Amino acid sequence: MKTGTKPRREGGRIPSISQSRRLATAILALTILGPIIAPAQIPPRFYWKSLAGANAVPVIFQSLSGNANPIDPAFVVSPNSSVDATVAIAGYAKMLPVFNRTLTLAVLEPMGRISGETTVAGKLYNQDATGFGDPMVEVGLNLIGPKAIRSIPDLVRYEPKLSLDLIVDVAFPIGEYDNDQALNLGQNRWYGRVGAPIVWQIGPWVPGRRTTLELLPSVWFFSDNNDYYAGQQTGQTLSTDPMFQLEAHLTRDFTEHFWGSLDSTYMAGGKWSVNGVGGDSLNNLGVGLTLGYQINDNISLTAGYMATVNDSDPGDLRMDGFRISFTYGWHKIVEGQKRLKSE
Amino acid sequence: MTMKITYKQNLKIAAAVVGGLALTATGAQAASPAAEGKRPNIVIILGDDLGFSDLGAFGGEIRTPNLDGLAKAGVRCTQFYTSASCSPTRSMLLSGVDTHLNGLGAMDEWAAPNQWGVDGYEGDLNKRVTTLPQVLKDAGYHTYMVGKWHMGKKPDHIPAARGFERDFSLLDGAGSYWDMWSFTAANPKSTFTEDGRYLKKLPKDYYATKTYTDKVISFIEEGRKDGKPFFAFVSHQAPHDPFHLPRDWRNRHVGEYDKGWDAVRKERLQRQIEMGLVPKGTELAERMWFIPDATLLAPAARAIMGKKMELYAGMVENMDHHVGRLINYLKKIGEYDNTIFIVFGDNGAEGTDLFKMVAGMPGTRNFLFASMQWSQNHPNAWGDPHTYVGYGPMWAQVSMTPFSHYKGLMGEGGIRNGLIVSGPIVKQAPGTISRSIMHVADIMPTLLEVAGASYPKTINGHEPPPLIGKSWVKTLAGEAESPRSGQDYLAWEIFGNRAVRQGDWKLRWQYKPYGTEEWELFNLATDVAERHDLTAQHPEKVKALLALWDDYVRANNVILPSRVLWEGQAKQLPDRYPVVDGYPPLLYQKQFIPPPDMLADPKP
Repeated sequence: MKTGTKPRREGGRIPSISQSRRLATAILALTILGPIIAPAQIPPRFYWKSLAGANAVPVIFQSLSGNANPIDPAFVVSPNSSVDATVAIAGYAKMLPVFNRTLTLAVLEPMGRISGETTVAGKLYNQDATGFGDPMVEVGLNLIGPKAIRSIPDLVRYEPKLSLDLIVDVAFPIGEYDNDQALNLGQNRWYGRVGAPIVWQIGPWVPGRRTTLELLPSVWFFSDNNDYYAGQQTGQTLSTDPMFQLEAHLTRDFTEHFWGSLDSTYMAGGKWSVNGVGGDSLNNLGVGLTLGYQINDNISLTAGYMATVNDSDPGDLRMDGFRISFTYGWHKIVEGQKRLKSE
Repeated sequence: MTMKITYKQNLKIAAAVVGGLALTATGAQAASPAAEGKRPNIVIILGDDLGFSDLGAFGGEIRTPNLDGLAKAGVRCTQFYTSASCSPTRSMLLSGVDTHLNGLGAMDEWAAPNQWGVDGYEGDLNKRVTTLPQVLKDAGYHTYMVGKWHMGKKPDHIPAARGFERDFSLLDGAGSYWDMWSFTAANPKSTFTEDGRYLKKLPKDYYATKTYTDKVISFIEEGRKDGKPFFAFVSHQAPHDPFHLPRDWRNRHVGEYDKGWDAVRKERLQRQIEMGLVPKGTELAERMWFIPDATLLAPAARAIMGKKMELYAGMVENMDHHVGRLINYLKKIGEYDNTIFIVFGDNGAEGTDLFKMVAGMPGTRNFLFASMQWSQNHPNAWGDPHTYVGYGPMWAQVSMTPFSHYKGLMGEGGIRNGLIVSGPIVKQAPGTISRSIMHVADIMPTLLEVAGASYPKTINGHEPPPLIGKSWVKTLAGEAESPRSGQDYLAWEIFGNRAVRQGDWKLRWQYKPYGTEEWELFNLATDVAERHDLTAQHPEKVKALLALWDDYVRANNVILPSRVLWEGQAKQLPDRYPVVDGYPPLLYQKQFIPPPDMLADPKP
């Protein structure tokens, strides 16, 4: 538990929950091709598609600091607070064909610890929380772009060109929640978003030379938290207006297995209130970068950093954080081939 | 290769031929002008490794409307022969002389130690022969060449030194279509010439097939003001590997070849039968024993193999497109109707993995070179600079449907190609299919006759080797059944493989594992796929053909190589057994489906 007076960092991290929701899919091998670069890696390149039936387990480690609870996508800014979080998010994702389009199903579970100083009703508190956060489910359906990848030949020929998905995320309020403090892993309310991820292929789709511009406009929705802690008073009602978020990634391969991305996130809206007494809206821009590496046919690794940039006013969201993700992907065809090869 | 009857100079001038022809320093003699009209222009379009059945006019599914248009307007020849390899074919095309006398008795890259330093085996087109462009130039033609040369790089061997007044030429046998990169550490850059000067760099926006076409059009345009006819040798690099082609030509057949090579071969054969190119009942050649049955392959393997053929098809279609540009230009300037087109591939389609042959051994300098310049091998990159993809023996057999073998080998698939001739030389009904036995060396005497030129009696003070071909003029005019009699014969030797054909009979000797290293006899009238060795049934025919072979060897100083590229291949390839469709049944038997009314759950 952190209870000290850790110096506040310059800048802050834009929410990672929205990003860590993303999952990796399987990385597939072909007998005659050698490795085929797997579609979909964590944050950037997540909405690349893979073979129907592919599975992935991502594990995302994050170290975050800022003036809001980084586990809460609503980002209720507490101007004088300083919160640190060490969080792991584990999940599972699967791709399926539906009406000849790719359907992605994913579930993510955050866990870890947060701690810090937070100001509630003008008083400074040292608080911490550990345990599991709210699990989140994502359903994504590709609407524009390549048809579902039903066979390895389809995978060989996959190029996103311009693809657009529709995603719906829902978080279930069953994470650990203590109504005696403001810092929690669970948020004690339903929330989620509707988004339309876009992948725009720029140039040839050749491993080592791929470039994409990826956009994810989305709108978050929050129900009320009717047991919110606000200044030694429990049972308060926290409300948050819908929030618009636009994420953008410009990704580029450096080699067949190594790539990088310039990332940015913009958030607007999401005005919060407690018992009808209003707080601030968000109007934040964060920038960052990600490096990704494909370790082998099954495992991919990314490391990234992101920080808010327009955060000079006391009421602005300040946050920054490092992220390392590890994704294990598999498909029964690939695994079967490996078993036979090992004989 | 030669004919029993030596070429006899024909001084009769076609009625269409006009113009006085100057005597030349090389001895070309003027012929009397024809009474009417301008002499025809001549365009030879050579596809490098283009297969017999690739064009639509020869049963291919590849879309080649421009070349098919020439076929429709002219004559298709189904028994046209070349050498089994490229520079030997080119040498006979441009000299009319047998390879073992013109310098290409062995390819420059594969000359055996016992051939080194021997006249006729120089590896380039030697100076004892004259050339078709030289004679035509001397006879008053403009002479242009674009594309692959492959018959010598030294200043006295380049196109400008061999009769071409304008040229834009790749002197090497192959290379990138996008830039100057070649394949080996010792020869990393291809050599190009333009109008007799060695190029330091390539033009902007260079793409071989396009640039060659641009150049030949510009040559014609710049030269046409004086009203002289022209001879243009459009020696396309396409579709020789590596399959480099613009991105928008790569994806026009996506998935079409996943069905596999045997299926495509059957479809092509069916079309060939329907078109009357081959008789009903023609068998397909046996699939080569080391090529798997595509239906037994996983979809991914078929997709990747199929993608190679997709690219090849794109190469051919792109070439056809640029041929169309040339045709349209000639129509625009009013010269199309007075232009003879001669179109063919220089040998069988390429089934050998040239890249592996050059760069396949890790630890070698060529492997290192390839890793730097030719390693962009992801299928999505195929076609780009620095990628190397060929299509392998399975698709080469498709390109040579219905024949056996491919480039380098002595099956019909190595030496027979489709020939299209169109233009004023053709007097037969448009679209005629000719089954006359014809040979690439025939082109020299044919075009000399067309141009009213004659073969020189001396070259540099020496009597030149004899022309071995036969003029097609009478045959194409419908005045003769064939340019050669039943007693004429053709013979071949390259890389130690050898063959002789007289009439319908062919005797073939080929190194293992592709052959038996014994003479094999085939009757091509009934067995164009060379499936049935008849040596035991017809020993007298074997004897007669062997005598012709001996005659050929003596007449042309054939020196069988002491080393050949086939060495060791029997150990690298699987043991050879006959390929029988559907064998073994274990691999083909499908799931048994019981009668529905007899299905039941297990009893408790």
